[in-house]
Amino acid sequence: MLFSKDMKIIELIDTDYDLLSILLRLDVQLPFGDISIEQMCRRYDMSPELFLMICQIYAVADFEPQVDQLTGEDLHCIIRYLRASHRYYLDTVLPAIGSGVERVLEDCDHKQGAIVRKFYDDYADEVRAHLNYEETQIFPYVESLIGGRVSKVQMAENMANHTDICDKVDDVKSIIIKYLPESCPTWKRCDLLFDLYRMRDDLAKHTLIETKILAPLVYAEERKLAL
Amino acid sequence: MRRVKVAIVEPSAIIAEGLASLLTQSGEYDVVYVGATMRTLIERFAVVASDVVVVGSQAVVAAAQPLRSLYDELQGVALVALSTTMCDEELLRQFDGVINIYDSYQQIHRKMQSALEQEPSNPYSDSHDLSERERDVLILVARGKANKEIADELNISIHTVMSHRKNITHKTGIKSVAGLTVYALLNNLLDQADVAL
Repeated sequence: MLFSKDMKIIELIDTDYDLLSILLRLDVQLPFGDISIEQMCRRYDMSPELFLMICQIYAVADFEPQVDQLTGEDLHCIIRYLRASHRYYLDTVLPAIGSGVERVLEDCDHKQGAIVRKFYDDYADEVRAHLNYEETQIFPYVESLIGGRVSKVQMAENMANHTDICDKVDDVKSIIIKYLPESCPTWKRCDLLFDLYRMRDDLAKHTLIETKILAPLVYAEERKLAL
Repeated sequence: MRRVKVAIVEPSAIIAEGLASLLTQSGEYDVVYVGATMRTLIERFAVVASDVVVVGSQAVVAAAQPLRSLYDELQGVALVALSTTMCDEELLRQFDGVINIYDSYQQIHRKMQSALEQEPSNPYSDSHDLSERERDVLILVARGKANKEIADELNISIHTVMSHRKNITHKTGIKSVAGLTVYALLNNLLDQADVAL
């Protein structure tokens, strides 16, 4: 295992500074001093196993989470993390990419700019709709399940309506790299591309948390309630 | 050094065996398949798995369409034509090299090597312009047509439409219909009035 509970937060971040964005989402406040991962988790009311699992999903390529270390108790915290991630996408990532797109298209022929802008706006709407579906369908379902309340629609059905939002980021990226006219300056494209690649990777990890941690735990809870 | 695995598709046994022995004797090539038609090669391609496919011009003419668009198996494999009969220039353009039956071993070797270097194992190694047929398919995709409609309109099989679509995505790096539409518009393949964006 790359990380352990005894590791200091600063060591964790030194290993992979992208994990800062996880702390940011969890609203963990700096400075940490020299506290360990376990101490931080206790302070923020979260199981260290879950926190380490999330960190590994982000830091280790092809990491396969084993949910047997987690329990139904962790569901609250997973939902809290996923909600916080949604806020991060909506408040930070999408606006940053939106203005990056605008900056790139400024120097583009009006007609071509409009075509690409429309494509990106539609994509951003899809992402918002996807997140909204989770917020209004999936998370409330999980929360009522934790509360022992049974509902007609089950998790499998919820997940089946869960759309893919990763593929289109790749399309945006290919268009920016390969097909936007020369008039759009490279430095503006690169700024945007860094953000796009980060968003793509982040969304892929986010999806992994939903499919490999959240869903299996929910299925286990459903079995317990003999749904 | 690993020997280059070659498959030969040529209906004339004399020519096929002649080329096979020329290549084998050199010690640089392993002829792993010799057959008369593309279809029999493709059926066994998972096993044959050659680096190069040398196709006699009769078989090229018989196929009438670019081989890579007909057979997915040939993606990433170097294609060399063996010119034994007159063959349409247009059809020869799909090949990474053309061998003439009067070529010496040295000439054949040179052509094979340059074909292998051109082999598009890296999707970004060449310019990856869409073929004319792929462009036709792309335009219909962007207009919102389903595979079945595209097949009917272009008079090709659904399987071929799907194979074109796969190549289009591979070449452009774009998967979604909306993204492909943007590609088509930016490249002036169709007019904004044609699509309900």
